[in-house]
Amino acid sequence: MGQSKNYDRVAKTFDFFRKGDMRRWGPAQKDHFSHMRGKVLHVGVGTGMEIINFPPGLDITGIDLSPKMLERARWRGRQYPGKIRFCLMNAESLAFSDNTFDTVVTVCVFCTVPHPVAGLKECRRVLKPGGKLLMFEHVMSNNIIYGLSLKFMSLFTNALEGTHLDRDTVANAQKAGFTVESEKNVYLDIVKAIEGVK
Amino acid sequence: MNFKIIDALIGAGSGTIIAFAVSQIIPAHWNMFLAMAVGGGIGMGLKFILLILLAPFFGAFEVMIPLSIIAMTVGMLSGMMTGYVLAGMLSVMGAATGLGISVAIYFSNKNLTRQP
Repeated sequence: MGQSKNYDRVAKTFDFFRKGDMRRWGPAQKDHFSHMRGKVLHVGVGTGMEIINFPPGLDITGIDLSPKMLERARWRGRQYPGKIRFCLMNAESLAFSDNTFDTVVTVCVFCTVPHPVAGLKECRRVLKPGGKLLMFEHVMSNNIIYGLSLKFMSLFTNALEGTHLDRDTVANAQKAGFTVESEKNVYLDIVKAIEGVK
Repeated sequence: MNFKIIDALIGAGSGTIIAFAVSQIIPAHWNMFLAMAVGGGIGMGLKFILLILLAPFFGAFEVMIPLSIIAMTVGMLSGMMTGYVLAGMLSVMGAATGLGISVAIYFSNKNLTRQP
């Protein structure tokens, strides 16, 4: 659970460092998350910064492996106009039965999950047939200049906090068995809004 | 918040800072290739400091990608030219290069995020 301790340690400053991202991506997230339906699983809810961009009236379960991050998410959850609960859980071993959720949501999570395909397979398992996977993730660029910058920076982010900037998350979702219906570029071809179906 | 203007200012500002720092650190008598390599290294070092300062306010990727390109390009160019050009002129060159790279990334982003 080294990753859990890492995130516990940064929980207090996490919101400050993500503030700029939220300013940039807020409108794109609101648009992407407007496709959320029914019973929702939010994998890697963190401090719950994205909850503000979720449509109201949903039944949401947020999971994270850091207790300190979840403490902060609970405060945000109280402002959400709908049902929301939080569980301490690892994305690679979800404690839910098969075919439980209508939608699975992830935001900048599968850059950090140690075995992304295994984690995505778990997401697929708990989704109902025809259920949606909505991912808002950063991925490796196909542009050689941007790609080299990401590869270089990934050496540092991986060593410091286990974040990979050079993952092909769209291909990983396909490897996990999802049919990717759309992938929309939000910033360059690095930050993407991805929609998959079980 | 107008991110178009902010991104342009970050580009020009970081180019100026990197060019000025390189011109102050690298001695004018250094071999051009050595100065270029060390200039690139100084640029990359400054990139990390600027990234930590700017990313929380203006977005990690939107700051990191332009800064990476600006730091390397301006650092190397300034290193190469430090023996031949005055520090003030190098700073102007750094600002212009930084701004140019920011504008190029703006159009690249516009092209990549265009809806079909």
